[in-house]
Amino acid sequence: MTAPDRTLRVLGRPALLDGIRGSRLTLTGVGALLLVLLAASVAAAVTIGPADIRVSEVWRSIAAHLGLGVSPLSPLRDGIVWELRLPRILTAAAVGAGLALAGVVMQALTRNSLADPYLLGLSSGASLGAVAVVLLGVGVLLPVAAFAGAMAALVATLALARAGGALTPARTVLAGVAVSSLAGAVTSLVIFWTATGDSYREILGWLLGSLAGARWPAVAVAGGALLAVGIPLLLVARILDAFAFGDTSAAALGVPVSAVRWTLLGATALLTGALVSVSGSIGFVGLVLPHAVRLVTGPGHRALLPLAALSGAVFLVWADTAARSLFDPRELPVGVVTAILGAPVFALLLIRRRERS
Amino acid sequence: MFRNRSLPLAALLPVVLLAGCAAPTAAQDSPTAPDAAAAVTVDNCGTEVVFESAPERVLTVKSTSTEMLLALGLGDRIVGTAFQDGPLPDHLAEAGADLASVSDKLPSAEAVLGLEPDLVYSGWESTFTPEAAGAREELQSLGIATYVSPAACKAPEHQPDELTWDHVFAEITEVGDIFEVPDAAAELVEEQADEIAAIEPDERGLTALWYSSGTATPYVGAGIGNPQLILETVGLTNIAGDVADTWTSYSWEAVAAADPDVIVLVDSSWNSAQQKKDLLASDPVTANLTAVRAGRYLVVPFAASEAGVRSAEAAADLSRQLADLDLGDR
Repeated sequence: MTAPDRTLRVLGRPALLDGIRGSRLTLTGVGALLLVLLAASVAAAVTIGPADIRVSEVWRSIAAHLGLGVSPLSPLRDGIVWELRLPRILTAAAVGAGLALAGVVMQALTRNSLADPYLLGLSSGASLGAVAVVLLGVGVLLPVAAFAGAMAALVATLALARAGGALTPARTVLAGVAVSSLAGAVTSLVIFWTATGDSYREILGWLLGSLAGARWPAVAVAGGALLAVGIPLLLVARILDAFAFGDTSAAALGVPVSAVRWTLLGATALLTGALVSVSGSIGFVGLVLPHAVRLVTGPGHRALLPLAALSGAVFLVWADTAARSLFDPRELPVGVVTAILGAPVFALLLIRRRERS
Repeated sequence: MFRNRSLPLAALLPVVLLAGCAAPTAAQDSPTAPDAAAAVTVDNCGTEVVFESAPERVLTVKSTSTEMLLALGLGDRIVGTAFQDGPLPDHLAEAGADLASVSDKLPSAEAVLGLEPDLVYSGWESTFTPEAAGAREELQSLGIATYVSPAACKAPEHQPDELTWDHVFAEITEVGDIFEVPDAAAELVEEQADEIAAIEPDERGLTALWYSSGTATPYVGAGIGNPQLILETVGLTNIAGDVADTWTSYSWEAVAAADPDVIVLVDSSWNSAQQKKDLLASDPVTANLTAVRAGRYLVVPFAASEAGVRSAEAAADLSRQLADLDLGDR
């Protein structure tokens, strides 16, 4: 088998579990482990917060909403658990999973290990779309505007990167920097133009990423996008594997390269748009998690896609729990936490790339 | 365009810094032949400002500075206002009826220089950055004095921690000295001290949230600024009082956990008390707050929520609103 070795050279270093990479055992085993970890994380995170509510009361309150027993809490304290903490944690899980998935797909389609919705400008574009709706009153639904912004940013980034020649990773990232700077500047302009008094503070969430406003409708949007777009993406692992060998090889394997690439990139823009519309632009989840998982699973997408999604969910649940409880009763935008954790990993990736080249 | 402006100003900086050490040298450059005995020197947020004579052309930034000058009968010294937070209170409205607004937001350095003021008096320290109205050194090198409401000093060594009525009155006295109207200042301080003394703190042991702005993340009055001073004066315990800041980003969970007895709403044209009431009533969590269910709201105008000449009347007004609250079967 020469193909997997080729894949390795394209996508990264040999994996820790190289021998059993891609085997059903690894996928099921690690997957089950991560699922349990995610469930445990949600159950633990929901007991953490500024309000002093006993662990058993938190769980009994949730059980009551699920039809088991009666909540021991007053309506107000019950609301803290059921209307503030739980929807926020579930939104974090959905956003984390979705961003990690989008990162994996974009990295494969652009054969660029530095691709992710944040670095290529999709998140900034989506934020701009969202801010336009919120502040300028553009009459479309928030997620639709965010999708339009993400898609426009994606097209602009790829067009810009290709305008100078081949779509190299460095050029793509530079184009992403240009596009996200522009989208960020226009977002700031809109904020500057419309924000009065101290209302600019509310808008920081779009730029830095925050889940503080996530209630059940946010769960519906982020969870819905994950189910509608994310689950189908799990099924395209073989196509993504084919892309790893290059467009020519993918075409030889029977993949209609251009159509598939744009369909899948459009899907990631759709997913990113929906996620950003509830969370603002949260950086580094789409970049860092796929790489971390790849160290364990290797580059095969059949394992990488679901495991990256699960790890992304666990990661963002804890990042947001840190954001809302580290400086209790103040809150940090969660994007600050992911950037503090993610930027050093990004730096490591850059160093590794230099070693290899 | 701004870059072009700031470069020559920056080039002047070293000269200014050298000159700044020797105030008399700067004084000789001053066109208005100074009476050395009358010079007033103040340490303002760590910047030494020398007033050789009472300022004649003042640009006021934020409402607190405008209202301070009007309250001292100095409305004729104001050549322009900027970044006003709302309408003037009734008793100052007539005196300030003819004031010209230069900018709804922070004015740029060029807009400031165009007015040729001899003093820029701001309610926020952040006005004086190169990105906004210009750095204090820059303006001072051009003969424009700068003054920040001392309550708004942000550096830890200059920020009042925590703000007291003495701080509020000290600003009135200091501005009175700068403008050479010490009697008017003394009278105003006495008037306000009486107004404060007349307030009977509420004795029902109530807690309060000072809700300034924000939706997903509420921005609230914290433990060391004007909100805390006013809440304490009227006999309310601030639920965010243990956060060592003037205002702070807070969390709804912490609000729900504390379940305050009353909520003070800051009212402004861009974020009205009614908008906040609607938001509180529509959110499934805050709708269950005791204060929201019982409609126990107190309202303070935004311009009076920052420390200054309206703090005393804001406290008196909140105290009256609080006394009128019927707490029912609490």
